[in-house]
Amino acid sequence: MKIAKQIFKQALEEGRTFVLEHEAKDIMKAYGLPVPAYDTATTAEAAAEKAKKIGFPVVLKILSKDILHKSDAGGVKIDLKSEEEVKEAFSTIMDNARKYGKEKGIEVDLSRGAFISDFAEMGTEVIVGVTKDPQFGHALMFGLGGIFVEILKDVTFRLIPLTEIDAREMISEIKAAKVLEGVRGQQPRDVDALVEIIMAVSKMVSENPEINEIDCNPTFLYERGKGALVVDARILIENPNEKAASSH
Amino acid sequence: MLVCDEIKGIDVFFNARNVAIYGASASQNSVGQAIVQNFIKPQYTGKVYAVNPKYTNVLGVPCYPSLQEIPESVDLVVVAIPARLAPRVFEDIGKKGAKAAIVISGGFSETGPKGAELENEVVKLGKKYGTRIIGPNCVGVIDTSTHVDTFFLPEYRCARPKASNVANIALVSQSGAFAAAIADWTSELGLGVSKIISLGNKCDVDDDDLLCYLGDDSSTQVICYYTEGYDGNKGRSFFDTAREITPHKPVLVVKSGRGSRAKAAASSHTGSLAGLDSVADAAYKQSGVIRADNFDQMFDMAKALAMQPPAEGDRVLMITNGGGLGVMTTDALEALGLTIPNPSSDLESKLREDLPAYCAFGNPFDVVGDAGADRYDAIFREAIPSGEYDIFVVGMLLQTPSLGMEITNIIANYQKQSGKPFVVISMGGGFTTKAGEIMELMGVPTFATGEKGALAAKALARYGEIRLGDKFNKSAGAKKS
Repeated sequence: MKIAKQIFKQALEEGRTFVLEHEAKDIMKAYGLPVPAYDTATTAEAAAEKAKKIGFPVVLKILSKDILHKSDAGGVKIDLKSEEEVKEAFSTIMDNARKYGKEKGIEVDLSRGAFISDFAEMGTEVIVGVTKDPQFGHALMFGLGGIFVEILKDVTFRLIPLTEIDAREMISEIKAAKVLEGVRGQQPRDVDALVEIIMAVSKMVSENPEINEIDCNPTFLYERGKGALVVDARILIENPNEKAASSH
Repeated sequence: MLVCDEIKGIDVFFNARNVAIYGASASQNSVGQAIVQNFIKPQYTGKVYAVNPKYTNVLGVPCYPSLQEIPESVDLVVVAIPARLAPRVFEDIGKKGAKAAIVISGGFSETGPKGAELENEVVKLGKKYGTRIIGPNCVGVIDTSTHVDTFFLPEYRCARPKASNVANIALVSQSGAFAAAIADWTSELGLGVSKIISLGNKCDVDDDDLLCYLGDDSSTQVICYYTEGYDGNKGRSFFDTAREITPHKPVLVVKSGRGSRAKAAASSHTGSLAGLDSVADAAYKQSGVIRADNFDQMFDMAKALAMQPPAEGDRVLMITNGGGLGVMTTDALEALGLTIPNPSSDLESKLREDLPAYCAFGNPFDVVGDAGADRYDAIFREAIPSGEYDIFVVGMLLQTPSLGMEITNIIANYQKQSGKPFVVISMGGGFTTKAGEIMELMGVPTFATGEKGALAAKALARYGEIRLGDKFNKSAGAKKS
């Protein structure tokens, strides 16, 4: 809880209502959410060294208070298999970020360098998210990723805080629930790990009501007994100075 | 109950014995006259006073320039005056010590910032003097037992619902027009009504207060809501209150603004915020509130829930004397997610002993067209103690000459003795409708179509699930693992 508060305080001091990726992962970890191994580095050499420690392949992402949508700024490189590739990727994303800043006419802060993370093995994609409803307050959303959420809108909601029964009901009531039971010869997915993620996110929001939105997207769900990983996490917070702080 | 500590302040709206009508009027067809008329009907046994500096009496009721001149204390004030006079009127109300006021007048927050300012002033004065306020911009309340009735709609245009000896529902509506239409409609539906409340702008008394009050009200068996949305965090507090109430009493809601177009209309209508509808859906589900798509559905469900105990499981036996009704009804039951299991071989052999071989011994169980009430009797006698069914849906087609009116007795007796929920479907014209009314007087809800009956059965199962939680015997979609 303390970690989250410190991170939110610093974000607001820097004029951000979003937290940086390593900060989001720090908060997730503090609440017991499973995340891939990660680190940060401010130089190409340090990035390569830390990547080696994490183990290849890795993902590299720009870390800057001025960039929320990292892909749009050419700030993401995936599946990097060697120290050489990491070094090269580091300078590429820094160049891209400078270019992005010029196009937008803003000075992009690059002092934080990059975020390095284990390139997680693909699992069944799920989304756990949080939205703040104007009438009912915080609600947690769950759905399967990809076309299930994009096209079929196959998602379900519960108000926070949730009970474990709520979490299990959510998982079994989406239309594509059968996918998690194992289809086409696949092993059943680790639903217990998913329940833990939902409960942890619920707790995180209960203790930090200044959170406006969360996206754990994608979250990879592996076969039963093998857990899950929150691969990408986005946390947006309320700006106390302007209650209706825009999230985009 | 933790969340409900203000029940007392609400009670006076329904049990007021000294009522003053502020803005009472001697002119024909006016709001201020229609309300006075309600309180001089013989059913209302309390006292009524008119307030208007223009008159000394209205329809024979003594009229005073302000509340202060009324010789006795006043507990409820009905306010029907132009909005701009409201602050002065609320000073008067406060000083008189009246504990409740219903503001019928419009011209407040629903009209813009100027009106909102007036509404704020009214709220402030209410707080200062401890006056609870319903409205503004509403038609107020009807209580069918005390006959407190502030609806300014003449009775020949808007009939009033009645209390039933069997069971009653209460309706809370954000919209005054709907409250009136439903009052008028339910007067003909044969559905017992305890109270109807129109909340309007909800400047003080809101959905929550009434949920607490009605949850504790012994004359109300089911609570129904029509809402367009909740202001600020009121959605969350309704959710918290509903969680406390729904394990004891069924709560149904029709919430408009499901689509994005309807949403825009809702927020301009009463200035309420409409959130993501799927969040509202989740909130209702999580708090045990049953959401209906429309009023037809809400009243079908409410009738069943008011008259019958909740089901302990989702297994339905459908008995019919007409094949078509059986198929239509079981189709509808299945679509609603209920289970329709065939009788076990044990039960079937027992039934075969008592019934002709040309009956259809399945589910639906067809006793066929030449059945008398004795065949239904035989089925209930065996099927109820078998424990194979949680809900009994009985098709009673009275067009056949062989089915006598004793069927109503048989159904009512088995229902009472077993404590299991029963739903009757009686399709047809005049004779059937009368029979349905008799069935309902005996306590068993009766519906005109299989689909309506199926929905009623679904409501009994859903509420059983809400009340019993894990102990509810759910066989539909049960996991095989």
